[in-house]
Amino acid sequence: MVTTAAVVVVDGFSLQLTFLLFLSVVVVTLFTALLTAPQRDEISEFYLGNRTMTPLRNGLAMCGDYLSAATLLGSTGLVALTGYDGLLYLGGTAVAWMMVLLLIAEPLRNAGRFTLGDTIALRMPVRQRPVRLALSLCTLAVTTLYLVAQLVGSVALLTQFTGEPSAATRTLCVVVIGTVVIVYAAIGGMPGATFIQIVKAVMLISGVTVTAVMVLHHYHWNIDALLTAAADHSGMGTRFLQPGLRYGASTTSKLDFFSLQLAIVLGLAALPHVMMRLLAPRSTGVLRVSVVWAMGLVSLVCLAAGVLGLGATAVVGRETIARMDHKGDAAVLLLAHALGGGVLTALLSCLAFVTLLAVAAGLTLAAASSVAHDLYGEVIRKGRAKQTEELLVARLAAAVIGVLAMLLALVSWGANTATLAFLAFAIAASALLPTLVYTLFWRRFTATGALLSLCGGLLCSVLLVVFSPVVSSTPASLYPDADFAWFPLQNPGIVSIPAGFLLGWLGTVLGRPEVPDAYDEFEVRALVGAAD
Amino acid sequence: MNVEQAKRHEISHRPEFQELRRAQRRSGVRMTVVATGGFLLYVLLSSFAPELMNTSLHGHLTLGLALGLGQFVVMALIARRHIVHMRTHVDPIARGFRTQAHRQHPDRQSRPGQAPASHHTQGYRTW
Repeated sequence: MVTTAAVVVVDGFSLQLTFLLFLSVVVVTLFTALLTAPQRDEISEFYLGNRTMTPLRNGLAMCGDYLSAATLLGSTGLVALTGYDGLLYLGGTAVAWMMVLLLIAEPLRNAGRFTLGDTIALRMPVRQRPVRLALSLCTLAVTTLYLVAQLVGSVALLTQFTGEPSAATRTLCVVVIGTVVIVYAAIGGMPGATFIQIVKAVMLISGVTVTAVMVLHHYHWNIDALLTAAADHSGMGTRFLQPGLRYGASTTSKLDFFSLQLAIVLGLAALPHVMMRLLAPRSTGVLRVSVVWAMGLVSLVCLAAGVLGLGATAVVGRETIARMDHKGDAAVLLLAHALGGGVLTALLSCLAFVTLLAVAAGLTLAAASSVAHDLYGEVIRKGRAKQTEELLVARLAAAVIGVLAMLLALVSWGANTATLAFLAFAIAASALLPTLVYTLFWRRFTATGALLSLCGGLLCSVLLVVFSPVVSSTPASLYPDADFAWFPLQNPGIVSIPAGFLLGWLGTVLGRPEVPDAYDEFEVRALVGAAD
Repeated sequence: MNVEQAKRHEISHRPEFQELRRAQRRSGVRMTVVATGGFLLYVLLSSFAPELMNTSLHGHLTLGLALGLGQFVVMALIARRHIVHMRTHVDPIARGFRTQAHRQHPDRQSRPGQAPASHHTQGYRTW
């Protein structure tokens, strides 16, 4: 939300330069999306894109899909305002890749086709339709929330330039970004989305690294000098470099932070747009190296973001950052202005817009593929849909989901981007992850278990947030005047993730067993690889 | 049940396959627990034992900050170990099974890890 409307981070020159840069990136990527768009009406090309990319490009695309503008602006802001606690948050963002690399990626790719629904259908061929229905419901919930978070983020970013935007500017911003996203997803399909993802990842990595090097150079490569300056200019001395500044007030807030970390560390593996990327490489070897690349690049960005956050406090001062935006989103831009003047500010703000755009495109595509493949192809048409037909539905679904997200973003433009994104992570970790893990590794898992854990995990996390301080009882809530917040934590993960796993187990134990031997065959496929 | 499924079914009962499964799963689970659990433990320690984490090591560098940096080193080491483990213990066995499973269909034969010709891989643009 906006605190002070009058102060803006950047001057007119930077604003024009940002606009120019952003426009050129959009034009170039749009043309490329049109050129690389699937030429034949093949769903595999639309869903998975070029399956023979090198590991580095795959890794860049994964990194691009994963790191949103929330990491660039939000986490660095969190570091700038709360020091140690912000750094912990960045650590979680990087650690999340471990589970993907070690457990999920390879079996999922070997046994998967286009969506998680295809993998599950191999395990429970008879009752796959209700599971696919529940699965696409959860996928839609996660992607729509995350998509709205990106679009709301674009308005918040615009606020940094122009002060609080008028209703017309706001609408224009959301509609322009939303439309470009729809074009990428609906026309470009996965090849188009991959291209913008790679462009964005290269821009993000180089932009963040160069700025971090500038910060370190400013302090003569002396980390201790940077830490000292950050502590001095934070207005709270060494407490800035100690845990507890943000989440240390009470046991409740400490548990809240743990709950958030749990959702971040476990939620990544189940994010639909990341899962789609994992299915794309044609061989296990390429996939493994791709994930290692992604992990390395994400770690690099997280380390650099930590340096940027500390640097922002050290150079600009915590007071100024907090005055500009109480969430700290302005930290990077203020730092860029102090270090590199208008040009660097323009570069980084263009980067933030491109980041928003790319993540939104990936999400729209994941949602569209779930609707077209699981919902339309398998549930409505019962697997009899022709490829051209399914492709048309996918393109239409991308447009509809994009428009829906734009409307939701316009209604809730004041919402906190981070809260929306965290809820999406929590749903992914408590509804999609249990089903994914059980499907891959548990012999007895049945359709009843899948249905219970999907619907239960989704309901549990949404209900807990509804009855949490996010919605009512505190001045920062959606409804500050009402009070029905009996759940004390803002992040439901600590309760809803175990609940999702427990429900999956319960449904399996109580329901009737699946076809015997289906798992034996599935396991060979997952470990050895399909004939393709 | 088609030929391919029958073949897979047969593979699943062989002792080599059980060994492959154990080799992959045990190390995967163990390393995930170390990496993810270690990090979550670190978060809990930071929240509930701040005095320990605030122990100064060198200047402003506290134990907590050092452990945070160490997390990235641990991740790199585990990723490296995983790749080596997979290359030596899992990939050779899996490759053997893959060639066996495909030998049944001379019409669909393809080298493992390579695209069959029917997918028009050459038709894709570079991106």
